[in-house]
Amino acid sequence: MKSKRFEALAARPVNQDGYVQEWPEVGLIAMNSPFDPKPSIKIEGGKIVEMDGKTRADFDMLDTFIADHAIRLGNAEKAMAMDSLDIARKIVDINVSRDEILDITLSVTPAKLTEIVGKLTIVEIMMGMTKMRARLMPANQCHVTNVKDNPIQIAADAAEAAVRGFAEMETTVGIARYAPFNAMALFVGAQAGRPGIMTQCALEEATELQLGMRGFTTYAETISVYGTEPVFMDGDDTPYSKAFLASCYASRGLKMRFTSGTGSEVQMGYAEGKSMLYLEARCLAVTKGAGVQGTQNGSVSCVGVPAGVPGGIRAIAAENLIAMLLDLESTTSNDQTFTHSDLRRVARSVPQLFSGTDYICSGYSATPNYDNMFAGSNWDADDYDDWNIIQRDMKIDGGLQPVKEDDVIKARNKAARALQGMFRELGLPPITDEEVEAATYARGSQDMPDRNVNEDLKAIEAMMARKVTGVDFVKALDKAGFPDVAQNIYNMLRQKVAGDYLHTASIFDKDFHVYSGVNAPNDYHGPMTGYQLSEERWEQIKNIPNAIRPEDI
Amino acid sequence: MNFDENMLRSVIEEVLKEMGTASTAPAAKAAAPSASTLSAGEMTLADTGEAAKGVAPDEVVIGLAPAFGVYQHETIIHQPHSKVLREIIAGIEEEGMKWRIIRVFRTSDVSFVAHDAAEYSGSGIGIGIQSKGTTVIHQKDLPPLSNLELFSQAPLIEMETFRQIGKNAAKYAKGEAPTPVTVRNDQMARPTYQAIAALLHIKETEHCDRNKKPQAVTVSFK
Amino acid sequence: MDQEALMRQIVEQVMSAMNNGGSAPSTPAGGKMTAANYPLAEKEAAKIKTPTGKPFSSLSYEKVISGELTSDDMRIAPETLEYQAQVAESVNREAFAGNLRRAAELIAVPDERLLEIYNALRPYRSTKQELLDIANELDGKYGAKTAAGLVREAAEVYEKRDRLKKF
Repeated sequence: MKSKRFEALAARPVNQDGYVQEWPEVGLIAMNSPFDPKPSIKIEGGKIVEMDGKTRADFDMLDTFIADHAIRLGNAEKAMAMDSLDIARKIVDINVSRDEILDITLSVTPAKLTEIVGKLTIVEIMMGMTKMRARLMPANQCHVTNVKDNPIQIAADAAEAAVRGFAEMETTVGIARYAPFNAMALFVGAQAGRPGIMTQCALEEATELQLGMRGFTTYAETISVYGTEPVFMDGDDTPYSKAFLASCYASRGLKMRFTSGTGSEVQMGYAEGKSMLYLEARCLAVTKGAGVQGTQNGSVSCVGVPAGVPGGIRAIAAENLIAMLLDLESTTSNDQTFTHSDLRRVARSVPQLFSGTDYICSGYSATPNYDNMFAGSNWDADDYDDWNIIQRDMKIDGGLQPVKEDDVIKARNKAARALQGMFRELGLPPITDEEVEAATYARGSQDMPDRNVNEDLKAIEAMMARKVTGVDFVKALDKAGFPDVAQNIYNMLRQKVAGDYLHTASIFDKDFHVYSGVNAPNDYHGPMTGYQLSEERWEQIKNIPNAIRPEDI
Repeated sequence: MNFDENMLRSVIEEVLKEMGTASTAPAAKAAAPSASTLSAGEMTLADTGEAAKGVAPDEVVIGLAPAFGVYQHETIIHQPHSKVLREIIAGIEEEGMKWRIIRVFRTSDVSFVAHDAAEYSGSGIGIGIQSKGTTVIHQKDLPPLSNLELFSQAPLIEMETFRQIGKNAAKYAKGEAPTPVTVRNDQMARPTYQAIAALLHIKETEHCDRNKKPQAVTVSFK
Repeated sequence: MDQEALMRQIVEQVMSAMNNGGSAPSTPAGGKMTAANYPLAEKEAAKIKTPTGKPFSSLSYEKVISGELTSDDMRIAPETLEYQAQVAESVNREAFAGNLRRAAELIAVPDERLLEIYNALRPYRSTKQELLDIANELDGKYGAKTAAGLVREAAEVYEKRDRLKKF
């Protein structure tokens, strides 16, 4: 006889997820692998000649780059000689400051970093995050995409997301050639919703840089690095090309961060028998060595791999902490579907959401997941109220706030009309009033009329050939009767001249005042220190429209 | 869900078995693929030496990843490789264009496989396909990790889509601007398939040889 | 003089000033920029210029609309990146500062060429000699010494790791 209880359990969403047993020999293990190298360092004549059990003659390309660029030599031998458990304890000790920790962790090897965080429980990792993230206040980022690459919907969704509180927005494409429209729609929509939001478009590396140079985007994030040399090659880059690319961005006044995550090496076939976390520590060392201000990490699109093995979600939090221990802006994933279970997806986000990170999600889906072209996010537009109420329940700042339907409709409509006007002035295929109306009230692309994709693609090709830039957006919007949106675009372009937002963990407020690890550093050192919700912010978070007010009864 | 578990288990067992034999007898592994006239159920693929770069403007080159049809025989959702290839070819032929097959060894990354195919194609248009079914339509003057059309979610690619991919590639080769094949999106594909996809890709990657140029391949269907 | 030539001239001036052992041009009275000067857009606007030589404070929306300012004006200048590098150093981010300095050198390289160089640095794209030629170009034509150093380093490592152009 079959047990009815087991029958019910088997039908639960959590049992539709794929799980695998650990398999350390091929790297199918989250952290603490018996095959991870033992930390070591030897310095001769100002050069690292041995690192993590390998001599320089045996270094692969990543080892060479890390040894030559990523580790502070002055304090390295001393820091490497410290007991990893002692360092781990300092991380959770409120009497040891963030700066003191960085003095140690910026001077150690990837194997040492892996060993240190391997000593921490998930709660201790969270304590570490609270202290070690770079910026004082947390923030959040969203994805704005749709399965049709419909630019009017992108503009409207971005405007709504802006009203809801996101500080950064990312789009990508179903069809690569649509990228310029997606990027400009996101730019206009975001600035129509709330001035000062940074926007990006995830694409092939060189193409992404090109859009940035043209002023279609204001930052970049999908600059992927990998933890083994063969996978790095399949990613069509090397640590050296990526370091050069990082400087290309800064030379155009564009903020950028690298991307990496546990599981990518196994996913791409070459993990060299090391744990996912150790390989991620190598990625982060490469990021540091390239001189990049920050990282998007936390398994990201490979989340199904660590999530399938024991301790995988802990490893994801641990890799976020390693990024912080390297003084990098931490943009902590929570951006990809990995489970059928609502319980699992909330638990997965607890470490970053409750501790607060520089960007809690690096892609909360601002659309329903059916429109999310990053193959679905862990959180989507249908979860907005859940997120807001979790913030209210726990008295935490997850970067969002409750909104009024009227405000959202107004913002969506304005963004759609602004894009309509800009398209008209730039001589692009017309956006009809019907499309504006649909985008204003849409939940997703199922509510949007189809566009003539071929006409759009032809127009994009012609627009790129005549070298349209962000400055042309400003002019077109002004001419179309949206001078306020045009002003905001102009102000974003102007920020590229000053470069303040190139710094670690930057965000802008609505007046284009920048907050970063430079002028708003995290100074947490125990209860009632660090970021505290202001009365004003708490009012915003707690006042959900559907709470009954006692005076109304 | 028993279904997925069983598949996973069998994949793991196979890989383990291969790893076992590879470590005890490395020569055996090297010998097997090079002779490669290997029968794959309903299809026979034969390597016929180094592929030539094409000049015919009316051809589309199909690039196969190292294990396709030889070490692996079906996609992640169990579509036989023989059928997949037949559909792509049919799509190209329906548009009155010619096709040629090469196998890429230097990488198992689908973008590079497709880009190599495009570079070897007289029209500059190529299709790359991995054993698990992930497919790209590429053009030779685009960056390797860009594409004309990308079908990244292998569990969502059905037979009809493969024919459409062949048709569209042929249309690009003719200089037309076809409407891209509708991209499908299912956020639950990842939780169900990602770990399996990783294993299949490890198995594909084991057959890479980064010093070996693309090989010409002939196909006969039974 | 066209914009590009002007930009190049400015960069050359900066580079020669830097190479002559002097610190970056027109550093603030107290020495180097620090976190106290940040954000520069608010606190040091008078010291920032565009690569075309226009003061940051003279930029305006109206001038964009009238066409007086173009996209060539809305770019960052090498001096500004040097200031930002100093700010980064003041908060112990020397790796990041190094990236900003390397970037300052690359401002003079035109967009198209910069993309070409980046692509040439990707795996299997270039022979060793091609990479060394690029390094010499960065060095000689643009005074981009640290960027050139990075390319030379890459050439050595790619050779050792068999990642140079194959076929």
